[in-house]
Amino acid sequence: MSIEQPDRSQHLVMAHQTDDSTSSSTERFVFTPPIDIFETAEGLILRADLPGVSLDSLELQIQDNRLTLFGRVESVMPDDAVPLHREFEVGDFLRSFILSDEVDYERITARLSHGVLEVELPRAEQAEPRRIQVNAD
Amino acid sequence: MAVFRLGQSWDPLRDLEREVDRLLQSVNLTFHGVRAGRKYPAVNLHESSDEYILTAELPATAPEDLELTLANGLLTMSGQRRDEEEIPEERFRRQERPRGTWQRSLSIPERIQDEQLSADFHNGVLVIRLPKAPQEEPRQIPITSD
Repeated sequence: MSIEQPDRSQHLVMAHQTDDSTSSSTERFVFTPPIDIFETAEGLILRADLPGVSLDSLELQIQDNRLTLFGRVESVMPDDAVPLHREFEVGDFLRSFILSDEVDYERITARLSHGVLEVELPRAEQAEPRRIQVNAD
Repeated sequence: MAVFRLGQSWDPLRDLEREVDRLLQSVNLTFHGVRAGRKYPAVNLHESSDEYILTAELPATAPEDLELTLANGLLTMSGQRRDEEEIPEERFRRQERPRGTWQRSLSIPERIQDEQLSADFHNGVLVIRLPKAPQEEPRQIPITSD
């Protein structure tokens, strides 16, 4: 039995690294990680595959109604290693989402395990329906 | 991120808009879902002066769900992607991550110290180190002649 590797969309960006002495730029890949979003009784759960991303290299940010995840991946290869066979590129992960009003921004929580980020997006409390008293003359 | 704007929408219409968005997203998904049909997991092989290094991206796999065997120069990796709960299909708004069990076998380079092989699995990245066997000293073959 086998499962297929999704074709991850990729683009190359120039990451500029400015030192004190010299300003150099290195090419880095940025990938759009595959995600799942599903509903639970409490709200939504988002899971993203981020292999190689650690707690220290992950940034999760909410600005206005936009949730952005950025995970930086460092190569585990020693400098003198020569590639013999290559099926994937090592790069960073970036993706952002627009959150709807359904989500209670204040109670969003996230955890990272086995290279998977899980973000819990609790549903905002619905306002209680209010009965309007109708008075007759 | 509404795709359709139904003019001045009343509140009850917002849900409809979302529903339409959701439908469009799923259409979009099957479009994206054209898989390249690559092998899983994708692997890279590097060589340094004293070892070969095999790397594979295996997110959502717990170390206890991963099995590595080495026999007759063939390294076999197998495992399963872990999704703790069974989530009904209709709960998904997006589903892009692969799931299920997998197995892949690779022939490894010769001249490896099998017993020195080591594997490290962190943050969903598997790194297998295959130390090279030391080069044997050239041996002089005595020649006798009459």
